[in-house]
Amino acid sequence: MSVNKITAGLILVAGMVSAQWVNYPSAGIPRTKDGKPNLSGPAPRTKDGKPDLTGIWDVLHNRPCPPGGCDDMFIPQEFLNIGWSLKGGLPYQPWAAAIVKQRMSENRVTDPNAHCLPTGIVRMYTTPLYRKIVQTPGLVVILYEREAMYRQIFTDGRPLPEDPQPSWVGYSTGKWEGDTLVIQSSGFRDGIWLDSNGSPLTESGKITERIRRVNFGTLEIELTVNDPKAYTSPWTVKLTQLLKADTDLLDYYCVENEKDGPHLVAK
Amino acid sequence: MLSAMIAGAQWVDFPTPGVPRLADGKPNLTAPAPKTADGKPDLSGVWTTKAGYIGNIARDLKPGELSFQPWASELYKHRVETQGKEDPQAYCVLSGVPREHVVPYPFKILNSPGMIVILYEALHSYRQIFMDGRKLPKDPNPTWMGYSVGHWEGDTLVVNSSGFVDNNWLDNSGHPGTEAMKLTERFHRRDYGHIDLAITIDDPKAYTKPWTVNLEFNATPDTDLIEYVCDENEKDLKHLVGK
Repeated sequence: MSVNKITAGLILVAGMVSAQWVNYPSAGIPRTKDGKPNLSGPAPRTKDGKPDLTGIWDVLHNRPCPPGGCDDMFIPQEFLNIGWSLKGGLPYQPWAAAIVKQRMSENRVTDPNAHCLPTGIVRMYTTPLYRKIVQTPGLVVILYEREAMYRQIFTDGRPLPEDPQPSWVGYSTGKWEGDTLVIQSSGFRDGIWLDSNGSPLTESGKITERIRRVNFGTLEIELTVNDPKAYTSPWTVKLTQLLKADTDLLDYYCVENEKDGPHLVAK
Repeated sequence: MLSAMIAGAQWVDFPTPGVPRLADGKPNLTAPAPKTADGKPDLSGVWTTKAGYIGNIARDLKPGELSFQPWASELYKHRVETQGKEDPQAYCVLSGVPREHVVPYPFKILNSPGMIVILYEALHSYRQIFMDGRKLPKDPNPTWMGYSVGHWEGDTLVVNSSGFVDNNWLDNSGHPGTEAMKLTERFHRRDYGHIDLAITIDDPKAYTKPWTVNLEFNATPDTDLIEYVCDENEKDLKHLVGK
């Protein structure tokens, strides 16, 4: 299975860039004497004293380059298999294990990602395109380069709705526990893939994210998926995001001039 | 409009905090415009554009105010005659600026330090307007949303944008926009319930002179954006046949 196949749509964008790159210096970044960002300094804080998660974030480059050389974009292990760090892998229910096996055997032709559909909040952390967190009073927004998607996390104290309209990004509320932003989400639709292997998330899924900015340049995210319909027990993985300074999001539209679809065929 | 029909579950009806209300609890839309901590008008909130401009963003212009370059006139004629068959939005490519201002779906304006963000329900997209004093880049990567910088002139937010794609549609009838397009948008929150917006389109490649349209946004409290995914279960495309 070639990763190039999985990410064919993702990599195209790099070839199209001809004009000026976005390189405006980010404001408020501590710098060393030579002007480089000092990413090991303390995390910044908002006026109300909470850690400020604002910034542009990249995936952790934790996957060795394939034998053919590195791709333009670094695909983290979690992009391929969200449970790669868990002993014994993800605790799939039997039907979920069967569907993952089927999706992989079919070369992932039914992957929503390959059909330019939204990828949901878990893959939004693992997709090798940047994301920008914007923290405002009462609301944290994450803007995604991929498909100009966004996600809202309400931090104004509201509860999760009891019967939300099912959606790809779900409904999210957050509150601070010390320096950790704890986000609860539900209201997902059936058919979401959590990784390229096709690990499912169903309408019964609930996700908890515990986000900590451990220093200026690093976010640590503890992600717990509780979806009894698809998994025999809740499971937790740790994701790391690295700050990208002095750049910004670009346009990325999967559906514009899309040529991959007809080439996606099962074996 | 489909979204209205498939809403089986709970609608998003959380009361918006900070809304001035009448005695009966309804939002008081003629109350004064709110201000941010630095004393500037606060444009944040969920808004819906005044209906009627998606078909033709220039509908209120008097004859002669909009003057095409010859090739742009031909292109516009072609787009109207072929009934929007080539409209990028029909292929689920997002609307871009300034078309997002006339699309009849709600959008949300957010303030953050140094930046205003607009989240759009339609086609699920967003736009960043940098308020940190930076200049427009000289040779930006062309995008549907363009590159935008804003500043305050009194109580009016003035946003300058450039860096647009070359095959822009400014509305459903297909008024063209090119890479040469520069936009000036002047946002004024007249009262709690209304923003007046004047957009000046200066695109010498497509038009012989700049032209200005005036739009109005209506505050849409006590609700929120819902998810809009154009290319999911998409059934329209094969019916777009022109004439």
